[in-house]
Amino acid sequence: MFSTADTIVAIATPPGRGGIGVVRLSGSDAHTIARVLLTTDTPLEPRHATFGKIRSADRVLDHAVVTLFPGPHSYTGDDVVEVSAHGSPVVLQSIVAAALAAGARLAEPGEFTLRAFLNNRLDLPQAEAVADLIDAVTPLQARTALDQLQGTLTDRIAEIDAALFDLIARLEASVDFPEEGYHFVEPEALREALGALLDATSSLLAEGRRGRLIREGLQVAIVGKPNVGKSTLFNALAGCERAIVTAVPGTTRDLVTEIVDINGMRVTLVDSAGVRVTDDTVESIGVELARKAMQIADVVLVVLDGSCPLDEADRAVLRETCQRRRIVVANKRDVADRADRAECAESPFLPVSAKSGTGVEALRAALAGALDAELLSERPSITNLRHVSLVERADEALRRACDAIVERGTSVAEELVLADLQIARDAFEEISGRRTPDDLLAHIFSRFCIGK
Amino acid sequence: MSMTSLKDRFDVIVIGAGHAGCEAAFAAARLGAHVGLCTLSLDTVGHMPCNPAIGGTAKGHLVREIDALGGLMGLAIDATGIQFKLLNRSRGPAVWSPRAQADKRLYGQWVRQRLEREPGITWMIGRAGRILAEHDRVVGLAMEDGDAYGCAALVITTGTFLNGLVHIGPEQHPAGRANEPPSRDLASSLKSFAFEWGRLKTGTPPRLDRLSIPFDRLVADGTFQRERGDERPVPFSFLTAPITREPIDCYLIHTNERIRDLVRANVDRSPLFNGQIKGIGPRYCPSLEDKIVRFPDKERHQIFLEPEGIDAREIYVNGFSMSLPRDVQLDLVRALPGLEDAVMLRPGYAVEYDFIQPTELTRRLETKQLRGLFLAGQINGTSGYEEAAAQGLIAGVNAAHAVRGLPGLELQRHEAYIGILVDDLITKGCLEPYRMFTSRAEHRLMLRIDNADLRLTSRGREAGLVSDERWDIFLRRKSRYVNNLEEISRARTRNHTGDSVTVSQLLKQPEVALSQLVSDRRVTLDIDANAVELDMASVETAVKYAGYLRRQTSEIERAKKDERRRIPSGFPFERVPGLSREVVQRLEQVRPDTLAHALRIPGVTPAAVAVLAAYIGRGARPRQDDARL
Repeated sequence: MFSTADTIVAIATPPGRGGIGVVRLSGSDAHTIARVLLTTDTPLEPRHATFGKIRSADRVLDHAVVTLFPGPHSYTGDDVVEVSAHGSPVVLQSIVAAALAAGARLAEPGEFTLRAFLNNRLDLPQAEAVADLIDAVTPLQARTALDQLQGTLTDRIAEIDAALFDLIARLEASVDFPEEGYHFVEPEALREALGALLDATSSLLAEGRRGRLIREGLQVAIVGKPNVGKSTLFNALAGCERAIVTAVPGTTRDLVTEIVDINGMRVTLVDSAGVRVTDDTVESIGVELARKAMQIADVVLVVLDGSCPLDEADRAVLRETCQRRRIVVANKRDVADRADRAECAESPFLPVSAKSGTGVEALRAALAGALDAELLSERPSITNLRHVSLVERADEALRRACDAIVERGTSVAEELVLADLQIARDAFEEISGRRTPDDLLAHIFSRFCIGK
Repeated sequence: MSMTSLKDRFDVIVIGAGHAGCEAAFAAARLGAHVGLCTLSLDTVGHMPCNPAIGGTAKGHLVREIDALGGLMGLAIDATGIQFKLLNRSRGPAVWSPRAQADKRLYGQWVRQRLEREPGITWMIGRAGRILAEHDRVVGLAMEDGDAYGCAALVITTGTFLNGLVHIGPEQHPAGRANEPPSRDLASSLKSFAFEWGRLKTGTPPRLDRLSIPFDRLVADGTFQRERGDERPVPFSFLTAPITREPIDCYLIHTNERIRDLVRANVDRSPLFNGQIKGIGPRYCPSLEDKIVRFPDKERHQIFLEPEGIDAREIYVNGFSMSLPRDVQLDLVRALPGLEDAVMLRPGYAVEYDFIQPTELTRRLETKQLRGLFLAGQINGTSGYEEAAAQGLIAGVNAAHAVRGLPGLELQRHEAYIGILVDDLITKGCLEPYRMFTSRAEHRLMLRIDNADLRLTSRGREAGLVSDERWDIFLRRKSRYVNNLEEISRARTRNHTGDSVTVSQLLKQPEVALSQLVSDRRVTLDIDANAVELDMASVETAVKYAGYLRRQTSEIERAKKDERRRIPSGFPFERVPGLSREVVQRLEQVRPDTLAHALRIPGVTPAAVAVLAAYIGRGARPRQDDARL
């Protein structure tokens, strides 16, 4: 059931498009949650941009500009907080996750606009337009949308839900008709049924991780010490002059991203500041960002200067990335022809001239290989973060239910198992539509002859 | 009709002295109302026309709640029960449910005598006839004999009597119950108002002569299985001292192939299967015909033989309700193991009766059309003595409150099974006789029999129903509970590895029971000797269910926020753009009081509720001509 009483959060900008992404919070706790996310105590002035660090429970996630729009003069009419962070989907998702941990709920599709509508912030004379708007928040509509998008999730969920529903009905019958003289579910059968349900949710969640890769795309970070030609390589792969290229080391300070097509895959290419120790505050922030981009990237392109021997800075970058899936590129092959590939261990090693374009095609092919195109050839049935989080909720509840099977003679603590199965079912219902307790009773009575 | 011709005036008149009517009259009288209680006969006050038992899963919860609020039923069954059983004892306290066999005659007598001790209650022996109304408001009741009485509120609890039709095979005769004439004039008076009606069916099994059954021999040779009650009964009422009455036994037998064949051979003579009965019966209490026809694969069905009282001749054949012809019923009885020579005192029968769709009612069980008219019990489509009594209490309190302009008593789903009962009725209506189940409760782990008083006694006190005596007992019990919780989180003991932990920490382990810790003297609690098990359960569940209770509490808090979004009374749903005609129709019928309530109506989608919320939020107000009373 949708509620307008709580605080919602979502990424407000499309992922990967440009240097900035916005996470938006709306609701009575938006301000409080923003305070939890911010590391500083700087007060948030209404409608003033405040710069600060955004953190989760255990680490700093990004640097961002945070703006508070107190209700009712905000987009939704509630208190709204907008966090403008770096436009990496992964960074933004981690901010959303931190907001969820601080008490927000993931917004349903269109829900900010729905709230604006509910709070009279939007003029809505046309009922039909309204109906469309609102439809997007219902589980049923979400299902329809998903059918168009993927088609298979509905069936998968329905299958799990049907098994869960049947199990619940049998357990409920045991609780409500204890005098029938037999057990509707034996403990061993219950354990087995829960095991099968957990297998189903686990495989959905595994697919969910892949599905999100497809939907949000993959990340490739270009890293290396300053002035090895990272931005030139970035422009060569992007096919345009996005990054500024100079001979001055440390030119790139912010993360520059571009969506590129690598063998049909959506890849977000990230150019970052050269990794080095610097006294320049702004550059050091850039270096920090580069490290982060490196950490969250699916594949790291380590760029070396092919015209000089490896120095300590190169070795540091190689060390830092040795656990990552990476491709080592020896750039500036037009200038000279040497680099010590022995130190690059097992990683693919490609000579490239970003400036002339020599070797760039081979690099694209290597990237496609490294990104594991095979992995994504099979279409997963779950890709949507909202659905994934609901399946996660169900999965957690099912695990608790498993833990609650305490045998008492021939009986189990059905009422405790049921409490969590109900939470799991509610989560599935939120994806796939609704059923009522009356349906449950109908199911019980159609299967068993009970009652006196 | 002019007021001078009235024979008498009451604050509240209650029609029917069954389980709903008695609770209604008692509650209204306790609140100081001058009550007229109308019944056909003083011999059938608090009568049990079907199963001579009170309680069972979820029903036992209802009785505990009635008692916590200050009602009658728990005290009545504690005083007259002859076998007590706590059901679901192998499971946790959340689903423990008391059930008891009653001495049917003593039960009715006890209830009648208790009502007679209430100075505010006057018996009106006779047949209720016509509802007197002025300007959509009840003003009195005319009896069939012509006498008229004035009243400010009328509670109708006529059970199966509205156009009742009894079926025994091809025989059918108008009757509310066996050998009791139905309500016809009252039915047609009610039909003059535009209520939505439905027709339901229920049934009862044959009764056997105890003297024709050699129980001891049949137990000895293994034909009958003896069913004993609990040795130390858990009482229904929070006021009852330990019950020490000598319990009676019941007996378990099973149906066999002969019975199956007999039913199959005669099924075309069953009014249930040959089209003679149109009303819909309860699926949870299937007739014998239903069991055999609908579940052909089930080899045998349980039958319990239950004495209707300590000295009663009649044996109730639980699980054997039917409407087959008399001769077939006798053959079927005698086909049961050990009953070859049994004497049938009276046959089972099915009864069809009219009911009013409870979507006509408010949460106070008052009709929306006619102010001052309250309905409770089977007339609202429910089945069961406990469901009836619960509604009777709610209707009685609200009738008395309405008379004096007091705020009334409304219970919500998260507070009580009674809240669930009323909400389901007024929101969904009835397609079959409605029975309570624990699976209807969203927050089952919170709605327990041990904490019914903690949930409801203060509500009953506010409403004026809880006596000083009950209130004192409750306050003592509450402070025991609070102190005990403190004690277990303070007192330390050793766990199995020898580390010092609090009792509360130790209790978190599933295999550790509080009763064991207490009997091992590892903790000393302040426990009422009259309610050891339930007192202990309240403390133990607070620890063992902590995680579950926390999750359910936060769900309830979320739900409460939505319950606060009220829909103005008389709201013109048909004016809201974007709602389908079906949705408008449902909303008009139920007239939900909050948005959350609207969302529980079958067929009303979340999108429709969002549109509604927006429309209400925009400050749209009903125009003058839409305003209703």
